[in-house]
Amino acid sequence: MSHSMALPLSTRTRVLLPLGVLLSLLLLWEMAVQGTRTEGLVPHPIGVLASAVSLTASGVIFEAMSGSLARVVIGFAVGAIIGIPLGLAIGTIAPLDRALRPLLDGLRSIAPIAWIPMAILWLGVRGNAALFVVAYGAVFPFIVNASQAARLIDRRLVAAARALGAGPWVMFRSVLLPSTMPMIFTGARIALAFAWASIIAAELAIGIKVAGHGRSVAGIGQLMVETLYVKRDVDALVFYMLAIGVISFAIDAGLRHAQKKLLPWSRA
Amino acid sequence: MNALVELRGVGKVYISARDADRVEALAGIDFSVARGEFLTVVGPSGCGKSTLLSLIAGFSAPSSGTVLFEGKPINGPAPERGVMFQDYALFPWRTVAGNVEFGPYARGVAVDRRRARAQELIDLVGLTGFERRYPHELSGGMRQRCALARMLANDPTLWLMDEPLAAVDLQTRMILQDELLRLWGDERDAAERPTVMFVTHGIDEAVLLADRILVLGRRPGRIKEVVKVDLPRPRAGLRNSPEMALLTAHVWSLIRDEAAQAITEESH
Repeated sequence: MSHSMALPLSTRTRVLLPLGVLLSLLLLWEMAVQGTRTEGLVPHPIGVLASAVSLTASGVIFEAMSGSLARVVIGFAVGAIIGIPLGLAIGTIAPLDRALRPLLDGLRSIAPIAWIPMAILWLGVRGNAALFVVAYGAVFPFIVNASQAARLIDRRLVAAARALGAGPWVMFRSVLLPSTMPMIFTGARIALAFAWASIIAAELAIGIKVAGHGRSVAGIGQLMVETLYVKRDVDALVFYMLAIGVISFAIDAGLRHAQKKLLPWSRA
Repeated sequence: MNALVELRGVGKVYISARDADRVEALAGIDFSVARGEFLTVVGPSGCGKSTLLSLIAGFSAPSSGTVLFEGKPINGPAPERGVMFQDYALFPWRTVAGNVEFGPYARGVAVDRRRARAQELIDLVGLTGFERRYPHELSGGMRQRCALARMLANDPTLWLMDEPLAAVDLQTRMILQDELLRLWGDERDAAERPTVMFVTHGIDEAVLLADRILVLGRRPGRIKEVVKVDLPRPRAGLRNSPEMALLTAHVWSLIRDEAAQAITEESH
C-alpha cells in the first residue's frame, strides 16, 4: 500500500484508533473468559488488574524486581569492566585479535543460559549462578562493539592528534576512548537487553528452590516459578510478564536518554 | 636565507596492500624551504603533493633520501610542525574551544594558560561566540577556521596545509585566503612571518598566496619547475591583475598535459 496515497491521519484519530482496538480486544477477552467460566485457568484482564493492585500494594513485585535488577546491574557492570578494555585492546593490537578471536567467537556462540547447569554446580542457586549468566551474556556485546569501534577509528583524527603532540596516554584517553564511546554505548544497550533477558531465563531455570528458604534472595523469575507451581495464579503471571516488558522498555529508554546527555555530539 | 626544511634525494614508494603493486609516489626530490617563506605546491592529481607534505609532517618516512627540519632528520610528527587537513579532521566530541586547546593540552600546558590561548585564537579567526559549538554544528568555513586556530595553538614554526580550502565554496574560499594571508603576516615584515607549505589544486590560489610555487609532475612525482612569484604584498588588491593572470597561465601550461592524462588514466 502506497504511503503517499493515504490521507494523513488527524492527531485524535492517531491516538484513539489503536486505543480503541486495544480496549475492544480486552473487552472481548474478558467476555470470553467470563462466558466460559474459565477464570483461574485462563488469565483475564480484570484478574490481571486485581493482581497488579494487590501485588503492588503488598510490595511483592518490588522485592522480586529489585533482587533481579540488582543482579542485572552487577552483571552488566562486570561485563563492562571486562568487555570494554578487552575489546579496545583486541581492536587496537592486531596479534591479540588474531590470538583471541577464535576463542571469543566460540564462547560467544554458547548461549548464556546453556551455562546455567554448570553455574549452579559451581556457584549454587542463591543468586551467584544467575549473576554469572548475566555477566556472561553482557560481556560479549561490549567486546564486539568496543573492538569494532577501535578498528574503525578515524585514522585522520589519530594523525591530527599526533601532529598536535599527543603521546600514548592522551591518544588513549582523549582520542580512542571518546571516538569509540558511541559504539560502546550501543553495545551497552544490547548488553543490558541481553542481561535482562538472561536474568529472567536464569531465575526461571534455577527456579523455586530458593523461594522456600526463609530469607528471600529471589528475583522475578523465581517468583514466577513459585506463582506457577505453588500458587497457580495465572493472572499474577501475566502481570509479571507485563512488568518485565515495562522494565525492558524503561531500561532502553534510560540508556538512550543517557547517550544523548553524555555524548551530545554523537547523532545516534 | 637559511633553510627550515631540506629534502635531499627524497623518494617514496608505496606497496599497495591489495595487489602488492609498487607505486612510486615521489622520486629525486631536492628542495629546500626558507624560513618565513610561503610555498605553495601544485601539480596534476597523482603527483605526490600530499605524500610530500606527509613526509615533512612525519606521518611517513621516505623510502630514499633524507628530510631535514632545522637541520635534523624528521622522526615522526612534532608540535612545531603544525598540520591542517583538507577535511578538517576536527575532533567531533570536542567543542570549538576543546579542539583549539587540544595541542597545548596534549603537551601538558596548564588549564588556565591553554584556555586563555585558545580564546585568543578563537577571537583571531573570528569564531567568537561559537566556543561551545560542536563541529557538526558549524559551516564548512567555520570548521576551517577552527582547524586553523587548532593548528596555531601550538605556535608551530612550520604550517603544513593540505588543500585546506578545497572543501569550501568559492566565496568563502576567497575570504579565507585573505584571512590566511593576514594571519600569516602579509602586512608584516618578512622576518616575522612563519613558514608555510600549502598544497592546493587551485592554480590561481597558488599564485595569489605564494612566494614560490613548487610545480610537480606525475608518475613518479618529481619537481618540474619552481616558479618565483615576485609580486608585492599585501596581495589582496592584486586578484585579477594582469601579472597574476600571466603567472597563472604559465603554471597551468606546466601542468595541463599531465593533468589531462591523469583524467583518462584514473577512469581505468
